[in-house]
Amino acid sequence: MLTVENLHKSYQTAKTSYEVLKGVSLHVGKGEFVAVMGPSGSGKTTLLNCISCYIPVNSGSIRLDSTELASLSEEALAEIRNKKLGFVFQDFLLLDGLTVRQNILLPSIIGGLISDTAENRADQLCELFNITAIRDKYPAEISGGEKQRTAVARALINHPLLILADEPTGNLDSKSTRAVIRSFEQAKKSLEATIFMVTHDSYAASFCDRVVILRDGTVWKTLERAGTEREEFQDHLLDAVREMGKTDSTDSIDNG
Amino acid sequence: MRHFSDVYAHLRRQNRSQYALLAGCCFFSVLLITAYVCMMRAPTVLNVLPEGGDSRKQVMMIFVLAVIGCAVFTTYASGLFLRQKSRETGIFLALGASKAQVRRELFRDLSAISVGSCAAGAILGSPMAWLLWQIFRLCVVDTEEMRLTFDLSSYGLSLLFSLFVIVMMFLLGSRSVKRTNIIDIVQESHKSEPIHAVPRWYGPVGIGLLALGCVLGYMVPTFFVLVLHWYSPGWVDAIFYIPALAGLYMILLHTVVNGWNSRKKLYKDLIATSQMRFQGRQTVRNMLVMTLLIAGAYFGSFYVPMMGTGSMIGYDARPVDYAYRFRADQDIPQEQEVCALAEDYSVTITDFAAAPMVRLAVDGDNHIEEDGPMGVTWRKEYEEVMSSELFLSASGYEALTGQRVDLALGEIRGIIDTEGSKLGFASDAHILTNYITKDALPVTPLEPLRYDSLFGRYVMNDADFAALSAGLPDAWRETQICFNVENCAETYEFANALFNEIVDRSAIEVAQYNGWDPVIRDRRIAEEGAYFLDRENCEENGFTAIDYDQRDSSAFRLGWQYMPTFRILDKLDFVKTMAVFLILFIFIAIVCFAAVIVIAFTRCMTIALTNRKVYDDLRHLGASDAYLRRSVRGQVKRVFLTPILTGTALIYAFYVLMLTFNGGTPEITPSELAGLLSSTLVVAAVSALLYGVYRLTLKKVWEEIR
Repeated sequence: MLTVENLHKSYQTAKTSYEVLKGVSLHVGKGEFVAVMGPSGSGKTTLLNCISCYIPVNSGSIRLDSTELASLSEEALAEIRNKKLGFVFQDFLLLDGLTVRQNILLPSIIGGLISDTAENRADQLCELFNITAIRDKYPAEISGGEKQRTAVARALINHPLLILADEPTGNLDSKSTRAVIRSFEQAKKSLEATIFMVTHDSYAASFCDRVVILRDGTVWKTLERAGTEREEFQDHLLDAVREMGKTDSTDSIDNG
Repeated sequence: MRHFSDVYAHLRRQNRSQYALLAGCCFFSVLLITAYVCMMRAPTVLNVLPEGGDSRKQVMMIFVLAVIGCAVFTTYASGLFLRQKSRETGIFLALGASKAQVRRELFRDLSAISVGSCAAGAILGSPMAWLLWQIFRLCVVDTEEMRLTFDLSSYGLSLLFSLFVIVMMFLLGSRSVKRTNIIDIVQESHKSEPIHAVPRWYGPVGIGLLALGCVLGYMVPTFFVLVLHWYSPGWVDAIFYIPALAGLYMILLHTVVNGWNSRKKLYKDLIATSQMRFQGRQTVRNMLVMTLLIAGAYFGSFYVPMMGTGSMIGYDARPVDYAYRFRADQDIPQEQEVCALAEDYSVTITDFAAAPMVRLAVDGDNHIEEDGPMGVTWRKEYEEVMSSELFLSASGYEALTGQRVDLALGEIRGIIDTEGSKLGFASDAHILTNYITKDALPVTPLEPLRYDSLFGRYVMNDADFAALSAGLPDAWRETQICFNVENCAETYEFANALFNEIVDRSAIEVAQYNGWDPVIRDRRIAEEGAYFLDRENCEENGFTAIDYDQRDSSAFRLGWQYMPTFRILDKLDFVKTMAVFLILFIFIAIVCFAAVIVIAFTRCMTIALTNRKVYDDLRHLGASDAYLRRSVRGQVKRVFLTPILTGTALIYAFYVLMLTFNGGTPEITPSELAGLLSSTLVVAAVSALLYGVYRLTLKKVWEEIR
């Protein structure tokens, strides 16, 4: 499904170049729910933005199925983003001037795919994510959780191969977080969606099949859930985070 | 909503205020520029403003300022529109819209806004100028000369500015979609343009540079002319104003980034200062444009009080109520006829006096201009017969003025005005020549006399006068008449009748422009084949030919060599005579002030839009309404007050400099000082208006933030 190999990305300021991704490689299989965790500055969001082709990469390969994304033309990339990828952002990125239903249908409208079928699917997604009652409201009139569920529905409207979610629960309270994670689980279960999620939140990550932990722009560790209970998996994640913290302090003592 | 264009159209309706703001800004800019150009290029105005004259240069200079201001303003408004739209654009791109798709819709919007608003502005510009002009005609003064006609070529300039607006919008639009980093596009609207550390010395050094630039810009070109004998081109003169512009920029930077309060008050202004710093670049650019426009607007506004006060004081300073002169070969009313006419109008004449004058050639330096690799230079070449001046005998002077003047043989005294202005006065004649007989007389010029009504004439010894005038034909002889009347203020009808009589009875050969000189004429014709002030050559050299049928026009009243100086006529007809000048400069001031108000209002509303979230956060942190209001006021005040104060100070400094050095001697005359004081009244009135706009803007910004 998604294969990332030896990805490098650096940002250039006036005088200095900051290397954020230093040869990241990973794979996400069809139907998998994968999270990327890591401390601030580890390169999580940059990785996601590179996979989405929102920002250009320095080197490396990003393959979606057999398509090499990094070498595509802008036109072809737009087509991929519209038809094969779905996006969920931390700050929702809903258009304030459109209703919930119109926001959900936006990728279909952009792609020229609007039809009665698409409208029915939007209604089904509203039903699935429990936002039918607010489908004619504007983003300003609904809660953060409802906004994010709208964004998840929007990400799924064009039957994408992969959903890319950037800190989807970052701006939400615990109740809304649960609702959004539930919507991802439902998307995975009912629609066989593949989800790649960047998060800080070990609770949200504990629902995933696999968690990739980034540190300083490289993959530090990968944890598989492999049938363990969610709570137990969360403990493993927290242990890993603690372990990374210890290494960090040892590193800083050594460096000091 | 089934197509992408439907979504775009839907969002357009939702965000109509953004569209209206951009369309409004473009419309307003093109409207102002078109109105200004129409007025500036109108034959009505061009006929009055002599080509190459100071007034036309001033109008052009303010026009350039207005164009720069409107160009910066429309660019800013377009940038703001695209920034507000960038989130929408970013979301479309993130969800898979192609750049071509987004560009198509954006360009469709930009086409509608730019072409529509520019066309509306260009079409309505001339009616607006015409309407304003008619209002002036209705409310202030209406003369035949003020009939307004427009020149078609002015639409070319308006079209050029409209093209700039359209092309600029499309370039910015194209750039906003072209970027490869979609995240940058999404976050564009949240981006600030901070100005980082600006040292505190920027403020005082800026003031110093501003003063230095003004002095250099004004004095260096004069130095070039007087010392180096070089007429430096405009671009060279402009270089010396650069320190002033740099100083102005530094002052505004310091104001925006540091503020002028002491460090102790830093925390009191923390929010206002920090917020302004984060939109620093655009704010400073806007404030710079506003400052220049304010200076331009006041330059136009000062014209009326300066000229009005100066002229009125000048009229009052005249020692006689009525004075006129005529050539001896003209049949112009003299004492008997004047008294009869006065009787018809029940006017009592007192102190009637007449004295003969002769036109004699004088020696002096011929000013020869030459084109060279460095531009135009000039050199002096002494000529024994250089030009001509009018001479009175000492007894003639006494008859006219009642003042005795003792002059020995070979002594002459020039006559200047009571303020001592020597402008245009050749006081250094040493040889007088009878141009017909070629008899010459060496003379010694003594300290000038002061008598306003005879400004520019000379007085000589009676015997010298008799000897040198012998053999001169009537065309070289003149009569000067001076008289007073009882209740001068009530003699306008008589004055007008006498003026008309003089004009009616003047022959075409004396329809000469001020400065027409028979001696210079002969030399020019000998050297160049033509004299530029002759009636037939006047028009092509940028002077309006004297036409007796246009006797009420400013061209006639200000230009005719034999124009009588009747106190009451000049006073009451002042507005009529100067109407085109006055109204043109009032018009320019209105255009510039309107531009300043719109720019300031738009800038302040942007502050409100971009800071709304910050103020929400502050409210959540417990800030009271009073605190927030003070912070809002701090920003709005800076946007308004700084350019207004700086622009006003700038124009005052410039005027003081100009008035100090324009009379040949470094001093400000009482009438100039009075003019400056009446200009202060204009500043007070405009400041009251601007304060009203400031209060209204503050209210609107506060409403937006709440």
